[in-house]
Amino acid sequence: MPEMRIEATINGRKIARAAKPHQRLLDFLRDDLHLTGAKEGCGAGECGTCSVFIDGVLFKSCMVPVGKAQGKTIETVEALTRTGELSVLQKAFHKAGASQCGYCIPGMVMAATAAIRINPFADREEIKERLGGNICRCTGYQKIFDAVELARDVQNGKLPVTALAEDETADGKYIGANVRRLDAPSKVSGALKYAGDMVMPDMLHLQVLRSPHPHALIESIDTSEAEAMEGVEGVITWADVPGEDGFGVFVHDQPIMARGKVRYVGEAVAAVAAEDAVIARKALSKIKVVYKLLAALFDAEAAMQSGAPVIHDYAPDNVTKHIPIRKGDIARGFAESDLVVEETYSTQPIEHAYLEPEAGLAYVDPDGVVTVISPSQNITHHRHMLAKIIAKPINKVRFIMSPVGGGFGGKEDMIYQGMLALMAMKTRRPVRLVFTREESIISTAKRHPSKTVLRMGLTREGRIKAVSLKMICDGGAYGLSTEGVMRKAAILGAGPYNIPNLQVDTYGIYTNNTPSGAFRSFGALQTQFATESHLDICAEKLGLDPFEIRRINAMRDGAETHTKQQLKSVSYLRVLEAAEKASKWEQGAPVSRGDRRADLTPVGEGVRAACSLGARFEANGKLEAAE
Amino acid sequence: MAKKRGRGVAGCWYGIARTATVDRAGAWVEIDDGGTAKVVTGVTEIGEGILTVLAQIAAEELGVRPEDVTIGDNDTARSPEAAHAGATRQTYMIGNVVALASREAFGKLAQVVADEWHVSPDVIEAASGEIWVGGTNHKMSMDTAVHLAKSRGVVPLGSASFGTDTTGLHPVDGAGRPWQAYVFGCQVAEVEVDTVTGEVQVLGIWAAHDVGRAVNPKGVEGQIEGGIVQALGQALMEDYKIDKGHTSTPGFAKYILPTSLDVPQITSVIVEDPDPIGPLGVKGIGEPAMVPTIPAMMNAIYDAIGVRVTELPASPEKILMALKDKERTENDRRAAAQAAE
Amino acid sequence: MLFCDEYLMPKTLDEAFAAMESHRGRYKLVAGATDIYPWAREGRAGDVEIPVLIDIAGIPELNDKKIDDKRTRFGAAMPIQRFLDDPQLARALPCMPRCAVWFADDQLRESATIGGNIVNASPAGDGIPPLVAHKAEVELASRSNGRISKRRLPLDLFITGPGRSEMAEGEILTAIECESLPGYGGSFEKVGHRRSLVISLVCLATLVKLDASGKRFEDVRLAIGGIGPVPLRLAEVEKFLLSGPLDEGRLEQAAEMPVHLVQSRTRQEYRREVVRGFVMRGLVNAVRRAGGHAVLTPELEASYA
Repeated sequence: MPEMRIEATINGRKIARAAKPHQRLLDFLRDDLHLTGAKEGCGAGECGTCSVFIDGVLFKSCMVPVGKAQGKTIETVEALTRTGELSVLQKAFHKAGASQCGYCIPGMVMAATAAIRINPFADREEIKERLGGNICRCTGYQKIFDAVELARDVQNGKLPVTALAEDETADGKYIGANVRRLDAPSKVSGALKYAGDMVMPDMLHLQVLRSPHPHALIESIDTSEAEAMEGVEGVITWADVPGEDGFGVFVHDQPIMARGKVRYVGEAVAAVAAEDAVIARKALSKIKVVYKLLAALFDAEAAMQSGAPVIHDYAPDNVTKHIPIRKGDIARGFAESDLVVEETYSTQPIEHAYLEPEAGLAYVDPDGVVTVISPSQNITHHRHMLAKIIAKPINKVRFIMSPVGGGFGGKEDMIYQGMLALMAMKTRRPVRLVFTREESIISTAKRHPSKTVLRMGLTREGRIKAVSLKMICDGGAYGLSTEGVMRKAAILGAGPYNIPNLQVDTYGIYTNNTPSGAFRSFGALQTQFATESHLDICAEKLGLDPFEIRRINAMRDGAETHTKQQLKSVSYLRVLEAAEKASKWEQGAPVSRGDRRADLTPVGEGVRAACSLGARFEANGKLEAAE
Repeated sequence: MAKKRGRGVAGCWYGIARTATVDRAGAWVEIDDGGTAKVVTGVTEIGEGILTVLAQIAAEELGVRPEDVTIGDNDTARSPEAAHAGATRQTYMIGNVVALASREAFGKLAQVVADEWHVSPDVIEAASGEIWVGGTNHKMSMDTAVHLAKSRGVVPLGSASFGTDTTGLHPVDGAGRPWQAYVFGCQVAEVEVDTVTGEVQVLGIWAAHDVGRAVNPKGVEGQIEGGIVQALGQALMEDYKIDKGHTSTPGFAKYILPTSLDVPQITSVIVEDPDPIGPLGVKGIGEPAMVPTIPAMMNAIYDAIGVRVTELPASPEKILMALKDKERTENDRRAAAQAAE
Repeated sequence: MLFCDEYLMPKTLDEAFAAMESHRGRYKLVAGATDIYPWAREGRAGDVEIPVLIDIAGIPELNDKKIDDKRTRFGAAMPIQRFLDDPQLARALPCMPRCAVWFADDQLRESATIGGNIVNASPAGDGIPPLVAHKAEVELASRSNGRISKRRLPLDLFITGPGRSEMAEGEILTAIECESLPGYGGSFEKVGHRRSLVISLVCLATLVKLDASGKRFEDVRLAIGGIGPVPLRLAEVEKFLLSGPLDEGRLEQAAEMPVHLVQSRTRQEYRREVVRGFVMRGLVNAVRRAGGHAVLTPELEASYA
């Protein structure tokens, strides 16, 4: 491949070196100059983890061909700490608690640096607008805004430099204190290495061939042409698995790579390791797979019908898990009710969208220990499963958890670590895999889409007499965490209320959609969305204030839960009161009285101004005047 | 008015740590040279701030400062099992076990120091790098104390295990004890609906959550704020679309996430109802933070425009079409009433 | 992934044409590159191999700017961000800053060029409706027998369909020229699924000038995007608005007129509702910015703004 020569100034240092014409500036910085502070979160200009300055102007370096760096002055996040000290803004991020997983933070720090360089007096609304191209999935942005405002004020002399220092704590009492995050300096400076930033000598690059079909038999896989390519060091399929092939959080129904059958689009079928990722990618197109298409299922309720195609032989009814909960007698409960309301609620599948796409590095150490470094949320269980899959004693398998650039449950599944381990064993070289954003989205778990039918009976006074709740969830092609999600959805679904008569059923169903799995709040979000919406519908019909209907039914100290567990202390009444007081709630039935309420909040006292874009016009007046 | 505002409320509850199974975690602690400390446990930051929380707990229990604490890597070959990073279990399971292991390590150091001073180990106190006996002039640095212990042949080490007293669910009626600690929460949402476009902007959220005991209040707020914004994404814009098994939202241009311009101002109220079982009284916040958000927002939308969204997300199109349907129904009803007169 | 063997950066139009001629059939032009990278990814075009990429953003002719009170001319490689932060441009093109502030984000606006936005001819290309309202013309250069020649075409005729234009093989879009409209009130209404980094479902550019009485339009321009294959100037609506005094009834009647133009294959009913509201909102905002306080009642502003 022909090369081009790039001459530029990068972080104050003049460089002159070869680059590949297809490289983006981001690739050049990360792969060739080892400046890994800029991250690749999406590769499509949509997230801002890769922001860098070019001649003092901020750009998304995944959208900049390396050729455009010619003759330019480039500053990455690493430039901000060239003196060895964090910048004022970085210190403000540290102080404000603005970093969580940290993966978006180098880009966010760059965007914030640009914001207050362009307008050192930018107000909070203008700051938000100038950060509008940088996604953060952890913080909810509040502490980031706080940090930028703090830095602005320190920079402008409105606040003393000591505002950036650690708060004083009562002597030795650290529990309950706002101790600054110990990991923040490594994150705001871009120094922390995530798995995709790590390299090892002689490392190979893995790429994965994925199924284009939702349900098909694999009649044959021919890898010979790929294996013959120069630079390709290994190709693996299911046939390379030496042990008991299966993983999953509850049921081990998913093979490392499709074993005779694919069950969803994006399922791993084969993997190639090569000297670089481009060769590995090109080799994928040389693998020939012959599929025989099967009838597929895309709807959970259809999958429950008799005569439906079977996705896993062990579950001929396509039910991954059913969780029942029973208490009292619901027929009697509904009969005793003055009001019975039924409604159906549905929720869509959701992507975790952690900014760090899956990545991992595996090697076999000199003692023969197969080692996998990855942002896994569950290395304990992964070690157990991998030992069986590769047929090794458990102490010959080692998992190291690298810093996790956002998880939210999505990195609990051992979706790619098995392939890395197998390839390291086969090639006897370290192997790294970094997912693209698209790969991450199509191949990893989603929040379970759900349909919940909720029926509630209440007395005229608003006391709940009976609840029946039935939820059907599309669990997708593999079990992953579905069983646990159904359990949590069932136990918590009817809410923290005393309900004498109750019937709850949750069903996780196999289909040929992208698998559903663990996702922060794990089924309880779906069922409690139904219950908490429903309580307002009932409150409107009964003329009760929404806090009141919740208080009437609230579990109190000593309550018995829906699973007949005796609780000691129950804080529900306390949190209701706290929220009611903090929001200065005006009592009244929820009869869509928005335009008549007296408790709508003035901007700045708990609400922000509605965003209409153009905060900067108001701020500098320049363009407004030009009109 | 083109823009209509409304408010809504929703409550929630949640269980802490693994569900309907015994949960467990282990840790090793050493009070190290220079009055520093090593904590080794199978856990790594996933962004929630657990490393700082553990350093705070170890520092307070050992009498050192958080920055003196080094936390070992999570490595199945080098650290004791602490199981997984999820289930709102980190502060509860690992926090409690680090406290227990720290107490054991400190007990060993305190014994050496008590012998030196001829007092009972029960009267030994320590904080921020100093160790002393209250009401006396017995006082030395942790550095000196560790040196003393080692000169007596003692390495001040502790280890502990923390497990839960929980059961599975009965297969027929679900009876059981799935968790030993529960938390509760409540959120109020204030929204503005643009009746020209159907866009919903969430302007404010007031979030009251019981966390047992807040180890790092700013960290708790961070979890609440982050949880709310994730829930806002699901409530209003995020939608993984799949048709015959193929997604049409494989990247962030189509899979729409909340940006800095979409998020409300958030007021967190931390409520502390200490867990009576664990040594610290802590519980958790990661997951429950986002449970009441969506219904609070949907209830607020109903308050603003009288449209009840039961099918997520409440996209501009869904809101506007529902609003037009409602207006049509109301007009028809009015017309019918007039005709009847 | 996007693969190429050569990445060329010509410094003159002649160099660019020379490169195009010697790599005929094997090249693609690049300016900001913000469309080509997202396109060459899984779920869209997948892995794409283009032997030669020719980056024309550095050619001086494509970066010129000339503005007076009658005409505005700017090079095709002008980054979108200049419409937001260049006061001269903002004065001459009064709805462009409001269009630009909605366009992707600050960083992408530094990469993305107005010429790129035009030649991609996306139905959701936000930069196009305001320029259509300014009666913009595009300038296309080509070279034959070593001689560069240029032709001009009105922007609304240049774009012929989604992703389709009158650009011929071997041509380069060099510049855009349009009317300057200083003193006009401008607005840009847009809706997507969030408020930053988002593609338009519908967008509307509005430019108005009031007569001396402040109660009639002296001029009004409306151009809409996102409702059909190409952006549209709403000539009928403009004519109607100019035909009588400005009052609420006239605005409401005007808002009804373009509703039937919505031809999108998806979300048709939704877009119709939005179009009606946007014409009202766009006019109200533009009239307010044109100083038309005399005709805007507070009720009218509250109902639509």
